[in-house]
Order: sequence, then C-alpha cells, then structure tokens
Amino acid sequence: MIVPLNHILLVAAALFFMGLSCTLMRRNLVMILIGVEIMLNAAGLVLVAGSAFWQQLDGQLMIMLIMAVTAAEVAVALAMVVYLYGRTGTIDVNTFKDMQG
Amino acid sequence: MTAPELIALLPLLILALGATALLLAARGSVGRGWPLAVGSALALSAALSAVLLPSCVTEVGGMYSTGPYARFFIALWSLATAATLISSGPYLSRRRLPSGEYSALLLFAAAGMGLLSSAVSLSGIFLALEAFTLAFYVLIAFNKNCALGAEAGLKYLVPGGVAAGLLAFGMALLYAASGSLQLPAATAALTIGAPMQSVALAGLALLLAAFAFKLSLVPFHFWTPDVYQGAPAPVTGLLASGSKGAVTAALLTLTATLPAAPAPFKPALATLALLSMVVGTLCALAQSNVKRMLAYSSVVHMGFVLTGLLCWNHTGRTAALFYLVGYSIVTLGIFAVITSFSGEQEPQQLSDYRGLARRQPLRALALTVLLLALAGLPPTVGFMGKLAIFSAALAAGLPLLAVVGIVASLISVYFYLQPVIQMYMTPAPSAEAIEGHSSEYGIIALCLGLTLIFGLWPGPLLELIARLTP
Repeated sequence: MIVPLNHILLVAAALFFMGLSCTLMRRNLVMILIGVEIMLNAAGLVLVAGSAFWQQLDGQLMIMLIMAVTAAEVAVALAMVVYLYGRTGTIDVNTFKDMQG
Repeated sequence: MTAPELIALLPLLILALGATALLLAARGSVGRGWPLAVGSALALSAALSAVLLPSCVTEVGGMYSTGPYARFFIALWSLATAATLISSGPYLSRRRLPSGEYSALLLFAAAGMGLLSSAVSLSGIFLALEAFTLAFYVLIAFNKNCALGAEAGLKYLVPGGVAAGLLAFGMALLYAASGSLQLPAATAALTIGAPMQSVALAGLALLLAAFAFKLSLVPFHFWTPDVYQGAPAPVTGLLASGSKGAVTAALLTLTATLPAAPAPFKPALATLALLSMVVGTLCALAQSNVKRMLAYSSVVHMGFVLTGLLCWNHTGRTAALFYLVGYSIVTLGIFAVITSFSGEQEPQQLSDYRGLARRQPLRALALTVLLLALAGLPPTVGFMGKLAIFSAALAAGLPLLAVVGIVASLISVYFYLQPVIQMYMTPAPSAEAIEGHSSEYGIIALCLGLTLIFGLWPGPLLELIARLTP
C-alpha cells in the first residue's frame, strides 16, 4: 500500500463526522439523507483501504453490498420525502411535532 | 450456491420469495382477506420448515449460520409475523388499507429478522438489519389517512439512517483492524496487545451505539414513544417484539464471541442498562397514553435483557433469551388486544379504556393478565423471566443492576395497573362496543395461554434455550 492505512482512516473519520453532524444539525430532510450517505461512503472508504491493507477481497465485496443497500434505502427514503411533502408542503423536520410527552 | 445451502436457507427463501410473489399477485387489494391468509400460511410454513427440516451445512457463505440457534429464531419470528397477520384483518379492512402490500412487507420484515438472528458475520448483521428496517420504514407510515403515521415514519427514518451509518462505519473499522468480517476473527482484534486495538475499540463503540439505537436504550431511545404512538397497532406489536428481539439475538451472538469483555466495553453496556431501567421507568410513570407507556416500558425491558447479557456467562445469556421470548409473546398479545379494541380510532388515551371490563369482559381480562405479566407478577412468564435474569445477575456479581432492576419492576406495577383501573373501576361511557373478530380472539387466547403455560412450567422452554444458546 502506497498510502498508509492511518491516513485513510483519518480522512474517513473526518468524512464520517461531517456526515454525522450534517444528519444531526440540518433540519432539511434531504440534507439529513445526504448526511447519511456521506457516513456510508466513509465506511466504504475504510472497507476499501482495509481490503488493500490485508490483501483480500472481503472488504471490496462488502462495499458493493453497501452500495446496493444504500440505493434501496434512498429509494424508500425519497418516497417518504415525497409523501411528507405532499401531506404538509414542507420537508423541514421541525414542523413534525404533533406528538409530545 | 449449492443444493444443501439452498435447502438450509429454505425457511428464509419461503418468506422472501413468497413476499415477492404476494406483492405481484395482490396489487390494489383493499378490503380483501386472502392476501393475509396466504401471508400467514407462508409464515407458518417457513416456521414449520425451520423446525422440521434439518440442515446439512452449518453456515451459508460464511455470513449466516443455519444452526439450532438460528432456526429457533427464524421459527419464532415467522410465528410472530403469522400471528400479526392473522390478527390484523379487521383492523386493515376498517381503515381500507391494502392487505396485499401489508402482508408482503411483513413477510420481508420476517425474513430480515430471521437473517439478523442467524448472522455470524458483521456483513450479515448489516445487510439483515437494513433488510427489515426498510420494510418497517414503510409499515410504520402505512396508514396514509393518519397524520401521526407520517410523522412516526419520519421519526423512524432519521434515527434508522444514523444507526445504519454508525453500524457501517463501526463494521468497517473492525474490518480494517482485524482483516476479517467473520465474527470470532473480527473481534479478535479487540484483545489487549493486538496491533490496531484502538481502531477496533472505536469500531466496537460505534457498533454498540447502532445496536442501542435499534434496541432504544437510553440515551438513544428518543424516537421510540413517537413511533409507537403513530404506527398502526399490529405493526407496533411486531416492531416491539420481533425487531428488538432480532437485534438482541445478534447482540448475543456478538457478546458470546468475545472471550472476555474488553475493558471499556462492559462498563459502557452496564451504564446503558442502568440508564434504560431508571429513565424508562420514570418516563413511563408520566404517560397518559397507553402506547407511549408501552414504548417506555420496552426501554425498561431491554435494560433487563441487557442485564442478562452482561453476566457474560451461559446462565445469563440463557436467562436473557428466555426473557426475550416471554416478552415477545406478552407484547404481541397486548398489541393484539389493542388492535381488536380499535374502531375508527385506536384506543390510546387511558380514558379510552374506561369501563371496558363491563362491555368486553374477556378481552379486558386478557389485557389485565398480560399487563401483569409485563410487570412481572406470578404465575406468568414475566415473573419467571425476571427471576432468571436477576438471579443470574446476582450470581455473576452485578448486585447494582439486579437491585435497580427489581426496584424498577416494583415501581412499574403502578403504571401497568393504570389501564386496568380504568377498565374495572370507572363507569362506562355510552359509546358502543367494538365487536372482536374470531381471528383476533384466537391470537389473544394463544398469547395468553403461552404466557400462563411458560409461567407455570418454564422448565422445557428453559432447557431448550439453554441447549441452543452459544
């Protein structure tokens, strides 16, 4: 491996925390979903790096599976976004607070 | 994939392929009963094949085990799904919801839960968890005429996404540290002196947070009451029993492969268990909505199960599994009663239960016994489960968790008795009674019977669970 594993782990950790903070701080549902995608991509980066470091294919196989799962998840989540927008005319998550207690 | 592997996967194939076929065959099936019947038949045949068909291989693709532990849970979740399908017919037709899509989604969720319980690799855990979470995203928001349903769907979607991210990154870190996704090999990087122990520990912490989200352990529980309140009652029943149970089964596999708990791991889990028991009990005391009360009660119960796992020995894990099975039966029964009480609206507020004992004495009695089982009073399965967990915790040197758990169960009698008092002690309003359907009565009677039988004769079930616990 030309790039040391530690460097990739650092980049991936930075990417992961950017995604996590995007998910936790943004109030727009589409931005929250993008944050989740960034977190999953950070995981993919670590899997590819680990795969190269250990000279085996498991990690690369796993990233393909994660991509497929992500596609399915985005399909369901965006359907939900459209449904919520059709119901209330907004995708700001702060407007959804009918349940309290 | 070879023929023996396909035969080993047969129960899951029945669920997944059956669900796909049902989805294609039953388009626009509002108000029809046959998709529910076909769905429950598929789930029952999956359970039967999981019990009767021996498997010639021990695992498939290095990802999913086909041993007795996996088979037991596949059968259990298939039966829970079948019970949910059978009891939700009148509920769906009253609300004009499409039964074909509903059955297919429940079967997909059952397949995912079965896969998660049999996962023996990190990749298997991730794929199975996402498989049933995706089905639940749709199921929770299934009632499009209900505004709370949409909000509940949103409140399951966002924590679900965060949990998926945490799980994937934790899994990737463990893989980078150990070079394997298989469970015993992947957690070997956690042992002291392993080259990348700190990376592996960070991965395990993220994995644990993802599990805590799914089990709704404090402080990752904030989504639970809203989702319980807004989701359709039968879906909530399966969410409370099956989805949490499957995640616990995976967590048990994970903890069983750790030879000794890595130093920071055990105190972290113990804190989660302690917080869940204390905060869950205090929040449940303040609720006037029965479904929200049950949500907080599930937080407390997951704390009890975690106490069993924390014993870190075979007795503790057996007790936790026994408790899990009992809790699933009781919860399914309670939500079947709430489903059968639902007219146009679900009875959620405590005041909706006023005087029900006079109008519907049988179901009121069933609900009373099931709530007392949750509180842990004899002669129910809840009492035997708590006895097993707390004695295992005391024997394993966890007196604090055991004492807090016992105090929490004593306090919990108060909020479980609230609906009972409303049903028996207050006069009935003049609203008309909702007639139950025979299928609903059947499922309620089954859950009630199992609650009492396992409470009086827990021996056979305990022995079975002790044999298959890793």
